[in-house]
Amino acid sequence: MASVWLTGLALVLAGPVPALLARARWTRSVPRAAIVLWQSVAVAAVLAAVGSALAAPEALLRVFLHPEERTGIALAIAVGAAAVLAGLIVVRLVVVLVLLAVRTRVRRARHRDMIDLLARAEEFDAGGTLRAGIVLRVLDGAVPFAYCVPGRVGREGRVVVTGAALETLCPRELRAVIAHEQAHLAARHDLVREGFTALHRAFPVVVRSREARDAVALLLEMLADDAGRRRVGDDAMAGALDAFASSGRAGYGSDVVERLDRIRACVHGGRALAVGTYLAAVALVVVPTVTIVIPWLTDALPTVGVR
Amino acid sequence: MALGELERAVMAQLWSAEEPLTVRDVHDRLERELAYTTVMTVLGRLAKKGLVRQERDGKAYRYAAASSREQMAAELMLDALGDVGEDRTAALVAFVDRVGPEEAATLRRALDTPAHGTPRPAGGSPES
Repeated sequence: MASVWLTGLALVLAGPVPALLARARWTRSVPRAAIVLWQSVAVAAVLAAVGSALAAPEALLRVFLHPEERTGIALAIAVGAAAVLAGLIVVRLVVVLVLLAVRTRVRRARHRDMIDLLARAEEFDAGGTLRAGIVLRVLDGAVPFAYCVPGRVGREGRVVVTGAALETLCPRELRAVIAHEQAHLAARHDLVREGFTALHRAFPVVVRSREARDAVALLLEMLADDAGRRRVGDDAMAGALDAFASSGRAGYGSDVVERLDRIRACVHGGRALAVGTYLAAVALVVVPTVTIVIPWLTDALPTVGVR
Repeated sequence: MALGELERAVMAQLWSAEEPLTVRDVHDRLERELAYTTVMTVLGRLAKKGLVRQERDGKAYRYAAASSREQMAAELMLDALGDVGEDRTAALVAFVDRVGPEEAATLRRALDTPAHGTPRPAGGSPES
């Protein structure tokens, strides 16, 4: 039975749940809790998939063979198949994650080197808004643009703005943008994004990993927006978004529209909703483990001779 | 002097030079109280980062910027603006994801410009 439950759980967590969660509107009022819930869905889905891969061969053994036949070669084949199936999932995920992590860090290092060489020599006075361990760099550029590049562990991250951005934004809006980028760096939002990017690269089709990646990216932007709103104010944060989006030929993306709507509607999360979301996130990982995996282990392990 | 500033000063000399420079050339052009070995170390670091090209010229090495200042600026912006869609690696996080195809094309054109001289004419006919 365990394999049926785990397979069902894996399918639900890989398909309908991400689809629904990506479309949900309530998540924008509690972005932090919603991101934790997304992470929990991802972990639970992978665990369920690994679990069902481990349990399926043993379940087939039970269906097709009498208890006295479940020994020797049949058992060995079942155990081997389980190991290979589960290993495929785990190895694929780990390999993709490591490759992505290496490539990302190489690209970042090169990007930081170039920024440091090309940034304007004069120090820009950000009005004492920068935290320790973060450097502001101003690049000459006709496109109003701002972004952050995480540093190596223990080293300085960079908040980068273009000259055009300095001209476009008023001082308060600029402080809001800097606060937004600092929030990304300080809370290591890049690691969260990296996880979901790897998940999508490892399992790009069938499962709803693209929706998960994009929804989490948007929630991270909202979370950073909230930091800017707290630090400087709703109007400054919305003004900055407006100025950036309206200045480019690319125009307003749907993500920017959602972020603007959210700030203008003064969406603030309810405590109850946040707590409920955190509880759901914990339950998603704990409940299947306790109700399916542990009973299955106590049942299946003696079959293979583990006591 | 901070190492970062020194690297910038050395790069500025390489960018403004007409031809690859020796360590001695860079050292003389910097017009600062610097040890020869310091300049050599900085050039070595920049070469290791791939920002400077190293050529053997007899017994000495000559150094040139790997790309022009404009090319590097364009590469930087393209890297920053281009971190969207399937290329996304979470290497950096943009405030507003925004790369219009036209903006990307402009930047890519800038990247194709040779280090010294005028832009390559596209297909023989100069663009108006």
